[in-house]
Amino acid sequence: MVAPGALRVVRCGGSTLCGARAVFSADSKYLLCASGDFVKVYSVNTEETLRLMSGHADLVTGIQLNPHNHMQLYSSSLDGTIKLWDFMDGILIKTFTVGSKLLALYTLATAEDSVFVVIPKKGERDTFQLVSVKLTKGAGQDLESKELLVVLDGVGASMKHIAFGREGAYVVSVKGVNLQVYFFKRKLLNRFSLSTLKTKGGDNRFSCVVCHPTEDCIATGHADGKIRLWRNFHHKKEYTYSTLHWHHDIVMDLAFSMEGTRLLSGGVESVLVQWHNESSCQKDFLPRLGSPIEYISMASDGALCCTLHTDNRITIINSNLRFSRSIQGLIKSRDVKTGLVVDPRTKALVLNGEPGHLQFYSLQSDQQLFSLDIVQRQYIHEAGLKQSDLVKVAFSARGTWLATVEESEEVTDPELQLKLWFYHEEAQSFQLNTRINTPHDNHITDMCFRDMDELGDDSLILVTTGRDCVFKVWVMVEDTDPEAQQSVSWTCDFVGSYHNYQATNCCFSEDGSLLAVSFEETVTVWDSLTWDLKCTFCHPPGNIRKICFGRLTCSKYLIGATDYGFLCCWNLLTCALEWSAHLNIVVLQPDPVSEHIAAVSWLSKESSLFVFKPNEPRPIYIQRNLCKEKILLAAFVPRDEPEMTSSEKYPWLRKSQLFFLTDTQELMTLSTKSLEERLTPSSKQLAVEESLPVTPFSVLLGKHRQQQAQEDTDLGKPVVHNKQEQASPAVKELLHTPAHVLPSASFLCSIFINSLLISKENKSVEEVADEVEMESEKAEDDSDEEDVTAMEQEDTSHMELLGEMTCKLSKSQEKELRKIRKMDYSWISAF
Amino acid sequence: MAAAPPCAFSPRGCRLFASCGPDGRLRVWDTAGSRLQHEYVPSAHLSAACTCLAWAPAEARQPPGKDGPQRKKRKSEVGEVDKQLDILAIGTAVGSILLYSTVKGELQSKLDGGHDSRVNCVRWHQDSCCLYSCSDDKHIVEWNTQTCKVKCKWKGDNSSVTCLCISPDGKMLLSAGRTIKLWDLETKEVYRHFTGHATSVSSLMFTTVKPMNESKPFDGITGLYFLSGAIHDRLLSVWQIRSDRKEKNAVMSFTVTDEPTFVDLTVSEVKEEPVKLAVVCRDGQLHLFEHILNGYCKKPLTSNCTIQIATPGNDGDSTPKPVPILAAAFCTDKQSLLLVYGNTLQPIIEKVTLNTSESHICLVRDIQKVLSLKTDAALTKVKTPVVNSDTKVLVPGIPGHSTAVKTPASGKEKKKNKRKPGETEESIEERLGALDIDVSKVKTPGGLPQTDSFAVLLVQGLESNDAEILNKVLNTRKENIVKNTVARMPIHAVIPLLHELTKRLQGNPYSASVMVRWLKSVFTVHASYLSTLPDLIPQLGMLYQLMESRVKTLQKLCRLHGRLFILVTQVAASQTVQDVPEVNQTAKLVYEDDSSEEEGSDDEMIADKDSDENWDEDEEKEEQSDEQDMTVEKEVNGDSDLEPENESEEE
Repeated sequence: MVAPGALRVVRCGGSTLCGARAVFSADSKYLLCASGDFVKVYSVNTEETLRLMSGHADLVTGIQLNPHNHMQLYSSSLDGTIKLWDFMDGILIKTFTVGSKLLALYTLATAEDSVFVVIPKKGERDTFQLVSVKLTKGAGQDLESKELLVVLDGVGASMKHIAFGREGAYVVSVKGVNLQVYFFKRKLLNRFSLSTLKTKGGDNRFSCVVCHPTEDCIATGHADGKIRLWRNFHHKKEYTYSTLHWHHDIVMDLAFSMEGTRLLSGGVESVLVQWHNESSCQKDFLPRLGSPIEYISMASDGALCCTLHTDNRITIINSNLRFSRSIQGLIKSRDVKTGLVVDPRTKALVLNGEPGHLQFYSLQSDQQLFSLDIVQRQYIHEAGLKQSDLVKVAFSARGTWLATVEESEEVTDPELQLKLWFYHEEAQSFQLNTRINTPHDNHITDMCFRDMDELGDDSLILVTTGRDCVFKVWVMVEDTDPEAQQSVSWTCDFVGSYHNYQATNCCFSEDGSLLAVSFEETVTVWDSLTWDLKCTFCHPPGNIRKICFGRLTCSKYLIGATDYGFLCCWNLLTCALEWSAHLNIVVLQPDPVSEHIAAVSWLSKESSLFVFKPNEPRPIYIQRNLCKEKILLAAFVPRDEPEMTSSEKYPWLRKSQLFFLTDTQELMTLSTKSLEERLTPSSKQLAVEESLPVTPFSVLLGKHRQQQAQEDTDLGKPVVHNKQEQASPAVKELLHTPAHVLPSASFLCSIFINSLLISKENKSVEEVADEVEMESEKAEDDSDEEDVTAMEQEDTSHMELLGEMTCKLSKSQEKELRKIRKMDYSWISAF
Repeated sequence: MAAAPPCAFSPRGCRLFASCGPDGRLRVWDTAGSRLQHEYVPSAHLSAACTCLAWAPAEARQPPGKDGPQRKKRKSEVGEVDKQLDILAIGTAVGSILLYSTVKGELQSKLDGGHDSRVNCVRWHQDSCCLYSCSDDKHIVEWNTQTCKVKCKWKGDNSSVTCLCISPDGKMLLSAGRTIKLWDLETKEVYRHFTGHATSVSSLMFTTVKPMNESKPFDGITGLYFLSGAIHDRLLSVWQIRSDRKEKNAVMSFTVTDEPTFVDLTVSEVKEEPVKLAVVCRDGQLHLFEHILNGYCKKPLTSNCTIQIATPGNDGDSTPKPVPILAAAFCTDKQSLLLVYGNTLQPIIEKVTLNTSESHICLVRDIQKVLSLKTDAALTKVKTPVVNSDTKVLVPGIPGHSTAVKTPASGKEKKKNKRKPGETEESIEERLGALDIDVSKVKTPGGLPQTDSFAVLLVQGLESNDAEILNKVLNTRKENIVKNTVARMPIHAVIPLLHELTKRLQGNPYSASVMVRWLKSVFTVHASYLSTLPDLIPQLGMLYQLMESRVKTLQKLCRLHGRLFILVTQVAASQTVQDVPEVNQTAKLVYEDDSSEEEGSDDEMIADKDSDENWDEDEEKEEQSDEQDMTVEKEVNGDSDLEPENESEEE
């Protein structure tokens, strides 16, 4: 039955974003993060995905920039490989095969050709070691890197448990209540441990560790919310630590700013705390981040930081603790109780989002549209609290009405609320119309609207079924009370029950004349006008798991799946069983625009998909082994335009698309497209080269920077910055005089330029460098131009870097500067 | 000219909407969420304001012949993410063109040296490596976007060139100043002239991709229709490119209410399919046209449908104000429209599916509210739905929360109707009852002793529906008074009392504890009467549900308790009830006036009861007629307290 060129299961909705700490690119314009098997490159400015780098066969566990080349990225994965990418172009440069599972990745600027990874120790379960991997140099793309050197034994598996200290001098690892520091130079291992006693509610176990970038200081987070700052750990005995305590629960991650003056911490409270100068009295907060913080990372220039949250979100925060951007994938909630529902108005997929919220996920653009706060209660991030959450959602046929059921998590006596929302077009928002407390005495098992287009929304009927053995019919009535401001509201019209069995499912026939309600083993069919019981069906043994009516030409059939492993089709005209099949169906989903019904079975660790028409007992499409995970939910989403390409082979995919949600909360769909077509390669992009006009500043800066770089490499010694005293007096004066007493810029310009000229190669290298510094400082004032110049500088530097001597350069530079001097500087006066 | 700020929808399903405000900032909006995606400020945004925008075509497709006009080319695949570089070309007032990457959010390149005056229009070629621009300097420039160099530059008109459009096959270019010229892109020669517009043309668009009559072989251009609109012109003209060079005049024209500022259309690919045209005018109205293009039409066509947006204007300012529509585009399904309306700095983008059979549609939108709701969602994307205080709340026990377990078969509408007349009927009954009382009252001055016992008060209160009296009576907490009052109450007042009690039980949870005593005694005393009622279920269904829902928590215990209590008290009450008629009978004898006996026997009984019970209190009442209610109550209480005790003691 399966046609050649079969359908492929394609993941969508973005896999989990919090596989590892995200990394900012060197210029803070891009954010790189591990997402499932992929590495994604986001633009910080626009929140859009720029690149999707695929190649790993398993979860990516760590990403780090190449310390020797900022345009390259190392990534490690559970598949045992380290890959080197050019992330700007999305090109895989090299693959290093290590062999064992890689759980975390670290790079060091001082380590020439090796990276550090955490691997499981051979022969022992649940013990891990930090090893350094020598990245073999070779010509090919795929290289073997088996040269492993164990650095530390018995480390934690998470990337948060290891940190490298200032300039790679030492490495710190935490596990349990033990902290170990290994000094590379001295080959010294110091171990410290805290008491395991849980005194006064304290819990000393380490949760994360980071190192100060410039000083010998280690910050550790603990399970009880404390942060400890360790110093003087060179000595076994005389170490000291100070404690910062604000978090009430485990500190999930810490990050130091680039200068080390600020420390960021975050935890389950979803509050980002910024500690200044390691003192506990000075701290800033950024509250209401939505969900627990999993990772924190800082950009190298300190202007941005980002937090990765457990609900699949990245929040980009600027340096003064303000929200800047947020990148949101499909929110993973603990349990999708609402099912997959399609909003008829926005065509978005609607399901549980954050606790108490409904997320509207646009499948067309594969991004979250918005999330709707239904419960409207402050969510308290605290373990063990009973929170209210949404359990059922239903939309009316045109999306004007939304019914939601929320319940508290208590099992025995749930607190239920049924809310009916009306889409208020004037305000472009849902508006609460009717709230019904305790609509049922026990959990609500199913809810559906009667979808009737032709009658309009006036005759809307909502049916809820509950475990309190009744189903209730809610109707919209016009309010007779003149005081009521609303013209319509909802009331109960009918309560039906059947032999005191629990009602489990309900659904309306396509024309809305019949209502089918399943009561444990029995399906009852009711007339929706008079609410008379018309007939009953059952297929004992086994309770009814799902029911649905056929559509269009098959509207005389009723399909039911039992938990005893039968799929049954009853004919409503003859009231007899038409056919049945022995399948353990977990999902039964009718297509709203055709007569096809998709059924997903779950048998011995694999899910299979069957697509059938009720009038034919033979399925029209079977796909065995659809995926390894159990599929919990499915939804047909109507397409905007019928797809033509696959219409001959897969007529059931023409008008709508099938989406699944697995128990690991991966959203999947079926695609007929080949892999190449789906992954939009970068080569297809509109090739527009970056060509920006050269500004005078960039010319100036470019030359200076280039010379500086040249000298750096030539002389082979580091350039010492920050010698303000050596700057020329003119520049000094320029910078130190208050702006309001300065003469006009056009007048100052020539003095300034003159001061930059090098007087016959007797100036030291340092001085030149200094002046460049000054210039760039000045350039930064002009924020518009700055980006432009920085890029331009890189371009030009490549071309002229070759074979020019220092003295020669200064001469040519002089010439260049003269030329510049003659140029028109009137534009400066504009600033 | 102060034209409307340039704006454009992205190709491929209009996911983004770019607009350049008067402040020179480029804003990119997400159409699905009506949310500001990002904002870009060109470095020279004040001196070189943005004059026109054009999105790069979706992608370079291999068969160029099949392509529609680039702005119309929409390819959307559900679930596919198309994150290719979306390049936006921005023409500026000083003659330079900026290429801006909307994915990266940064300037990609700057095209300089082509124009030395205001750029009026930019258009991408379908193959995406070429860009065409025209300017006030009378020239048309062809750019190579890869190298950012001028490929070709030629003089397009004697005056400024205001608009461009590339033919569906990509081989011809339409340019317009005042006259419209069709250029052959290969040779850069004029292929055709079209004259007819008096002012400079502001929009040009091809409406068909294939000629409508397939008799002749298609050479890529002949037989196609295109549309043009000009500034200060209320007519949009449609032209046809014909082989016989007879295209002197426009084929037909569409009339709108004001100068068109934004035009969008669906390209018809099949002959039978009409062209749908959406024209946004300067006055903020949107006109929809639907027309099958086939040859000449003398008369200007008027719009099939006009759409306006206005504020509701019900609160505060009483007059609805119009809200200007800024732009509109057809969605991929060609049915629904994306509307952009409101302020240019903060537009609202909405997808609407309209019934275009109506000739005039006015959408009411509360702009302030929408914007205030939108700003909440700006960063976190969390929208909070409106919850007003006038929401209906149903709690267990309130009518409508659940219905009785199946009343005799009747449709829901019928039942609803039934209920209403039922109420009115009751009120008639009550009126009749009230008449009786009135009669008796009238009689009382005639020497009959006046009554003001609780039972009378209660009945009066029930009949007149006087909240004050009812409050006074029903708020008594003394068990005995309650019991006696209920016992002496006329039977016809039982049901109204029950209704009143139900109402009060639903209202305030605190009053329930008081009302329950009344309920208890009503049921103990009048259980037999209630059981005789034929319509007991509809009458008391609500009360039943109320009680059911209230006792749910301790259901079984309460049931047992209730049943035992009824049993015990029934036994006791059966005797007291027997006592009461005795009193009645004695009272009957005292009657002097028989007129009430003409009524039905029930009424007679009741009237009797009433008067009987109140024998004793007559005098007191007369004495203290001016006194406060409270004292009356107390005394009454005192009286009635005594009586039952006496009775029980007698027993």
